[in-house]
Amino acid sequence: MSRLLVAGLILFPFIGLVLAFPARFDWDEAIGNTVVYVIVLGFVNVWLGIGTAWWLMFTDSKWKTPVEWFTFLPLFIPVLASMFGMYIALAPLGLVGTHIGVGLVLLVTTLPYSIRLAYNAMYVIGRPLLEQTLTLAPWSRFGLVLFPLLKETIRTIVLFSTVIVLSQFVLVQLMGAGLIPTVTTQIYQAYAGNDVSLALQNTWVLILVPVLLYVGLGGLFGIWIRLVKGRLQ
Amino acid sequence: MSLVLSGVQKRFKDRDVLRGIDLEIPNGEIHALVGVSGSGKSTLLRIIAGLETHDSGTVTWEETPLDGVPPHLRQITMLSQSPLLFPHLTVGENVTLATPNRLSQEAETWLARVRLPGRYNAEIHELSGGEQQRVSFARALAASPRLILLDEPFTNLDPELKYELQRLIRDLVRELGLTALLVTHDREEAMLVADQVTLLEAGRVRASGTPQALAETESTFGDFVELDGKPYPSLHIEVTDSPTDDAVQLVRSFTRFGHRLGEYRRKQGDYVILPRHESFRDGETYYLRKRQGGI
Amino acid sequence: MSRSSLWLSLFVLALPFTGVAFLIHETVGFDWSELNDAAWRASLTVTLYVTIVSTVISLVIGTWLARSVYRRRSTWLASLLRWPMFVPHVAAAYLFYVLFSGGFPFYGLVEANERHHLVVILTYVWKEVPFVFLMVIGTYAQLNRGYVDMAKTLQLTPFEQFKVAEWPFLVKPLLDSFWVLVAFISFAYEVPALLGVTFPELLGVLAYERLTTGLFLNAYESYAVALIWTLFIFIGVIGSYAVTAKRRRRIERGVRR
Repeated sequence: MSRLLVAGLILFPFIGLVLAFPARFDWDEAIGNTVVYVIVLGFVNVWLGIGTAWWLMFTDSKWKTPVEWFTFLPLFIPVLASMFGMYIALAPLGLVGTHIGVGLVLLVTTLPYSIRLAYNAMYVIGRPLLEQTLTLAPWSRFGLVLFPLLKETIRTIVLFSTVIVLSQFVLVQLMGAGLIPTVTTQIYQAYAGNDVSLALQNTWVLILVPVLLYVGLGGLFGIWIRLVKGRLQ
Repeated sequence: MSLVLSGVQKRFKDRDVLRGIDLEIPNGEIHALVGVSGSGKSTLLRIIAGLETHDSGTVTWEETPLDGVPPHLRQITMLSQSPLLFPHLTVGENVTLATPNRLSQEAETWLARVRLPGRYNAEIHELSGGEQQRVSFARALAASPRLILLDEPFTNLDPELKYELQRLIRDLVRELGLTALLVTHDREEAMLVADQVTLLEAGRVRASGTPQALAETESTFGDFVELDGKPYPSLHIEVTDSPTDDAVQLVRSFTRFGHRLGEYRRKQGDYVILPRHESFRDGETYYLRKRQGGI
Repeated sequence: MSRSSLWLSLFVLALPFTGVAFLIHETVGFDWSELNDAAWRASLTVTLYVTIVSTVISLVIGTWLARSVYRRRSTWLASLLRWPMFVPHVAAAYLFYVLFSGGFPFYGLVEANERHHLVVILTYVWKEVPFVFLMVIGTYAQLNRGYVDMAKTLQLTPFEQFKVAEWPFLVKPLLDSFWVLVAFISFAYEVPALLGVTFPELLGVLAYERLTTGLFLNAYESYAVALIWTLFIFIGVIGSYAVTAKRRRRIERGVRR
């Protein structure tokens, strides 16, 4: 009984979704931009997150603690505040209104989480076990051992970065100078207006993207693990 | 009788860990539970402490059942393999925490009793493993228990520290008149510390008695050597240079506690440790026979 | 390979700091008394209220849930808590807006946009509890259960058991979570813009609006507020970490995993 109550409390906001389902689904520039950003940033976050966490894990450098702090501190800077400053800094470089500019600021908001998630996961696995993989060549190391060990972490990194990217309205509006539409910037217009059903349909898109990505990655990784096991037998 | 266990059973998933344990420990006795890993001894201790529940049977203290009584109300403290000193507190604060009145003076007294006087403000990491275990013991005593459970507390210590701590615990428990239950896989430890020993095998009580009695009769407790197809306590065997059917080769000579001992290789390929005469030489062949006359 | 990742990460992560430096540069010569108007003052008050209430409730519930999952090993709860994580904040805001906009299921009992910002708080709590849960459950997963057992056998009351065997290890993840949430909630735009009221607006909303609408001069107000707020949070972070440093170091040295 208490389980039902708790489940109810956690799931009740989804009632709103049930009230509308997309009648149709039009592919447009906004969705195209969004999907590209999500995929590219997911990949970059995994690559840089794990790479940086790996360095932190194994280094004996005196810079380890300062670097740890450096990677963690941006989480304490309000996104909007740093966005104001980055806008001023990047405008003279001609990055305002460009995909690179928008991609860069989106990466800034997601990377600290990715490094943290990767580091926590590696810490739990433990340095001794990870050190065992150093005897393997890099591709084998990653493909045969690290990847299977870290697959859940990778999914979580992609999920976090995706959800954060999909949440950004001001970031994209400011840095994109209104020239780069994404699903979120478009939805904001619908939210601010009064078209409830259009807004709900777009909300479906915002939620489906991370869900499909997460489930899809799970399936992909499952296939990879099977392949790896097949090769080892 | 103080602690009485009757028909205690415990099952984990698909394995019977305890299959009906009967045990009686009178007040003031130091009792050892000896058995190999997996024999259920730690589980039994956790049940007595209230950290696990048993599936059937009863656990009573002074005829009052302990079922349903939470651990913090049982007045039973426990010493584990790892000292588990709370890391955010100093050495002394760890002990003060356990005292009924939260007085640091009480803690200082306990620390002095375990031979760590003046270490109240020391940080945990400043102490060696053995010292930490002594603090843990002081803490367990400071809580004024009526029963103290010792779950292989000497396992992670090197031999010299181990003996020192074993003696300390035995002497202090006797001095305070406490009842103690020690779990160990080490026969020597049981012999040194305990008044009575119970052997556990595969979740059942195999035998119970004084350490000396069990050493003579129980092959899983004493050192036994097989001669003519029959097991004899090693005390009943002697090594001579007069030929018998049982030849052995002296592989290594050593001395322990002032006794001359030797490691001998038998025909079957196994090794046995027995006394050594001062004339014996490594590599030579000698012979086993049942000791003539008394021990 | 990790070297190149490191350098790239450092370059990317230097940007927000560069941004703050540029904010400082832009606000040189700014007349700080301009911030002393009713809108900013009211905004500060309501921002503190919403931030602290949302953060504290999220920390308490998130920790309580993590503790329950740890003690009862209830994987169903851990799985259920993942669901809100799939919903971007702006989508969550809209879902809550729909729930409170007058029809089913609350029928206008509480309005979506009302001056106590209840729905804003609810949205943040719904989204941040899983985050706090994730931060805290990691600590519980690594916690040596022996400490909890030991606290029980030392005849400590249940509250004392929590205080001595769990709480010391929770300080760090809770401190981290607290400041991450404060930084996130206090200067956000998307959620409070949708669910808030026209006066007083939360700091992030007011700052963005002053930046993008109205006179160009108002941009400097927004930069100044962003800078002060960032510095305020920074001081809070450094201060609280400094105060707890000795204890955390002691725990790190003395803990047995």
